Amino acid sequence: MSHKPTITDSLQFSADSKIPQVLLGVGVVGLILSAIGYFTNTDQFFFSYLVSFTFFTGIALASVFMVMFHHITKSKWGVVVRRIPEVFGSNIWIWAIFIIPVILGIHNLYHWSHEDAVAADKILKGKSAYLNTPFFIIRQVIYFAIWGFVGHKLYKASVDLEKTGDWGITSLMRKVSAPAIPIFGLSIAFASFDWLMSLDPHWFSTMFGVYFFAISFQSFWAIMILMVFFLQRNGYLKNTIGQSHIYDLGAWLFAFTVFYAYIAFSQFLLIYYANLPEETLWFYHRLEGGYQYIAYGLLLFRFALPFLVLLNREQKHKRSVLAFVAIVVVTIHFLELHWIVKPALHPEEAHGLSFSWMDFSTFIGLGGIFFWLFFNRFKQNSMIPENDPKLDECLEKTYHH
Amino acid sequence: MSTNDQNTELYGILAEFKNPKALLDASEKVVEAGYDKFDTYAPFPIHGIDKAMNLPKSKLGWIVLGHGILGFTGAIAMMYFMSVIDYPINISGKPFFNAPAWVPVTFELTVLLSAFGAVFGMFFLNGLPRLNNPLFNVERFKKATDDGFFVCIEASDSKFQEDLVRQLFEEAGATHIEEVYD
Repeated sequence: MSHKPTITDSLQFSADSKIPQVLLGVGVVGLILSAIGYFTNTDQFFFSYLVSFTFFTGIALASVFMVMFHHITKSKWGVVVRRIPEVFGSNIWIWAIFIIPVILGIHNLYHWSHEDAVAADKILKGKSAYLNTPFFIIRQVIYFAIWGFVGHKLYKASVDLEKTGDWGITSLMRKVSAPAIPIFGLSIAFASFDWLMSLDPHWFSTMFGVYFFAISFQSFWAIMILMVFFLQRNGYLKNTIGQSHIYDLGAWLFAFTVFYAYIAFSQFLLIYYANLPEETLWFYHRLEGGYQYIAYGLLLFRFALPFLVLLNREQKHKRSVLAFVAIVVVTIHFLELHWIVKPALHPEEAHGLSFSWMDFSTFIGLGGIFFWLFFNRFKQNSMIPENDPKLDECLEKTYHH
Repeated sequence: MSTNDQNTELYGILAEFKNPKALLDASEKVVEAGYDKFDTYAPFPIHGIDKAMNLPKSKLGWIVLGHGILGFTGAIAMMYFMSVIDYPINISGKPFFNAPAWVPVTFELTVLLSAFGAVFGMFFLNGLPRLNNPLFNVERFKKATDDGFFVCIEASDSKFQEDLVRQLFEEAGATHIEEVYD
């Protein structure tokens, strides 16, 4: 019965592939266009940039999370796809330079950064021990130092294991992951307070950190599914990543659809029910001026549609269905971030829901760079963690009808 | 062996096999021979046994879905009757048809009835509760909870013929064959 499963695919991403160059070109063009936008409409530029920045940073953070819980649970289900999130995580220390525009635009983005505004506002004065410019910058440095270190460390350990075949490295992976999970949880929560919640500095929600985690994680699984399909479409890992692995990704997407709905609705329900003015205002601004269409869209396309479509077991590994749901989830994730950020710039009084070309140019620019960084590192090593002790078991997994 | 005066009616023929692999092969042979009233017994779940037995996909999912929909609509109908028709109360100016506030109860009842559907539907599909099974008359069958792997073809099968069934089991490599009386 026991035999070593053989891998028939080439495990090396082609060094001559044009994909990284194309992505770099797209990214640079997008960023240059966005830079022009900076001179035409500075406020719009920074708000658009923040939406795109949190979109991709959230994906990278969720990636590291997935790698960490994969290690500490000694999982075998995802070994063949684990290199993808590892590579996303390995680039966070480079990605850190993209926080600089957010810091430069602090006065455009964040009302609390104006000292005269704080002086005239009792609530902001009370929060000024946390919400002040120097501490904001210090926190960004701390976040990216932690994330960059852990992300790169876990990638490095995995590559070392592949090169040396030393299974002792798996215990190092667990030793890094176990303490890093709570640290990640806290730092992601505070980062979401800084980037998104403090756009409305009077408003607060203790659930906001979990909420940001939930939206990022749901779209992370969608991105994973699309990445796997993209690779297989280009002829990579066709026989290595099988039906059972795709099914697992579909099941994760389904699970985090429910998790998202639970978290997002809990936040809404408590505020709606208690009806306290300082809490309700945030949702009030997001249920008028056109933003209500996104709010109802979230209910339909971020929860109801993926939930009902993926409910049946057979649908969780059907490629066309999964690709469709994944694209819907990624799109609605972008719209949800827009819905969180933009009412601070365009409330109903200032023409409400509106899209600027900069929303798309920053998204394409940052996205191009994000995926260029990915493929640039992805091609340096094998596309799956070879020599991993759980790899054979993972390859042997078959889908049971 | 375990036949006494009351147990005279033939229930089926039971065959024991050495290991899970032999059980899988035997069950495939039984399916090939065209029997459909038979069952396999093992101390632990065996991967692929449902395929080897040619079992259709379980209907349990549909039962659960039906119960879930019943719970969902039942919860909304109940709250609509109570809060809108029978006893409307103005709570902090919110509408009587207060959809967000109804979500937790709707969710709970959907999950509750789905879980009931899953548990009791499983009982129903398995024919439980059942106080006795003729197989318990066979002393050897106690091994099914320990190290025995059994196939039993029931006498009510339209193709059942004692000698043919015995022959089939012998060809399939049974270690032990005996009749079961009800």
